[in-house]
Amino acid sequence: MENAKAKILIIDDDPDFKEAVAPILHSALFEVVTASNPTEGKEKILTEKPDLILLDIMMDSLFDGFSLCHAVKTSKEFSAAHNTPIIFVSAVKELTGSRFKFNSGEQGLSGPDDYLDKPIKPEELIAKINNLIDKA
Amino acid sequence: MENRYKVVIIDDEESMRDSCRQILEKDGFLTETAENGLAGLDKVKDINPEIVLIDLKMPGISGMEVLDQVKQINPNIIPIVITGYATVGSAVEAMKKGAYDFLPKPFTPEELRLIIKRGLGRLKLIQETESLKREKKIMEENFITMVSHQLRSPLVAIAQYFEVILGDMVGEVLPQQKDMLNRAKDRLEGLLELINDWLDIARTNGGMIVARRQPLHLQTLLAKLVEFFQPLADKNNISLDLVSPQEDDLVQGDSETLEQVFSNLISNAIKYNQPDGSVTISIQEINDQIAIEIKDTGIGISEEHLPFIFDQFYRVKRSESQKAKGSGLGLTIAKKIIDAHGGTIRVASQPGEGSTFTVLLPKAENNIKS
Repeated sequence: MENAKAKILIIDDDPDFKEAVAPILHSALFEVVTASNPTEGKEKILTEKPDLILLDIMMDSLFDGFSLCHAVKTSKEFSAAHNTPIIFVSAVKELTGSRFKFNSGEQGLSGPDDYLDKPIKPEELIAKINNLIDKA
Repeated sequence: MENRYKVVIIDDEESMRDSCRQILEKDGFLTETAENGLAGLDKVKDINPEIVLIDLKMPGISGMEVLDQVKQINPNIIPIVITGYATVGSAVEAMKKGAYDFLPKPFTPEELRLIIKRGLGRLKLIQETESLKREKKIMEENFITMVSHQLRSPLVAIAQYFEVILGDMVGEVLPQQKDMLNRAKDRLEGLLELINDWLDIARTNGGMIVARRQPLHLQTLLAKLVEFFQPLADKNNISLDLVSPQEDDLVQGDSETLEQVFSNLISNAIKYNQPDGSVTISIQEINDQIAIEIKDTGIGISEEHLPFIFDQFYRVKRSESQKAKGSGLGLTIAKKIIDAHGGTIRVASQPGEGSTFTVLLPKAENNIKS
């Protein structure tokens, strides 16, 4: 298992973010695939079968990340991906500042496995990914 | 497919009910009929139709009253009244009461079809308007989130590039370049912080805070924050302690904004401390108030600055080497939030020895639940 590269799918509409995060993942020897919107993201989840998904919360609409996450975790279409860990990333800060209300549970949605504020700290990202992939 | 529109026909004349039913069923509607008002209302409750046809002149409860009650059952139902020529006056009255339109007897199948079609058009319009209103409300509620996202996204992308370049992940960076990039990164982080604080000021609204207050244990809230700030304290070699209260710690508060206040005070106490310093947080009951004290052993604030530190954009001038990083809005926001809670915030300080911020909040009335 050790020599098989884990594959990470980044779903984000900001090309610069993907460009800047890819080297971090490469440095930790992950394989990187990307998608620029929820539709492309769905396709890539099915065709690329990533080991983990980095998912931007706000793309075309405010709630894209939430609905996509919920679909991956629960819908029949994604039954093969139900256990794929998802990390939410967002430019809207979590603890201080304009916190994003994401009580997914309250809305009856399946939430992500973890959460990261942008800009992402490289060590933190890699630690969280390793942690989730080891568990899966 | 349950996509068919439903019509309830309420008329005491059997021939009328049958002919309407035949015409509408042929056009694909689901219909139910009733020969008096009460039976008709039961059918309306039962199948929740899009349209109700009501004869105005019926034995038992009047068509006018049926109309009233239909509106109460579901205001979105389109009621159409059927009336003889002699009662156009009452048809007008029915329109005033909320009937969508009236159909004078006798009418042709074509006239019935037309009026139903227009009624459905009206219904569609109402539904579209409502969904637009809902969307607009969501937009308004999340306006600050949207603005925050739009303003932060480009900066965050820049910051992300800095992280990668400074992490030597795209080739080696020379020391002098690294130094400059680090400074650039610091300035950028300052700007991101300013945007956050600025938006916080905009969204901190006293009325909203008052409405969201609930009985809240400060011990729980502060313990969570201490846990969150422990890594920062460790990094700066500062000991961070929460003295558990023996007494009451229940206030009437909005957890989200209070969390913001205390996280600001605690992070300041850590940031503006001396090496090997300490931050001590304590909770005390003073008369009918709860006092939260955040005491640091930091550089302190000299007397001439003290009266102004809660003012917008006021920043204590420090030497070039220890330039303040904050936006100058943190304490202003804190004061605004505490004011909205009916509390007070004050500061005492000795330069060189440290500062103590004290927040006083009214105790929750405990007798509500016991």
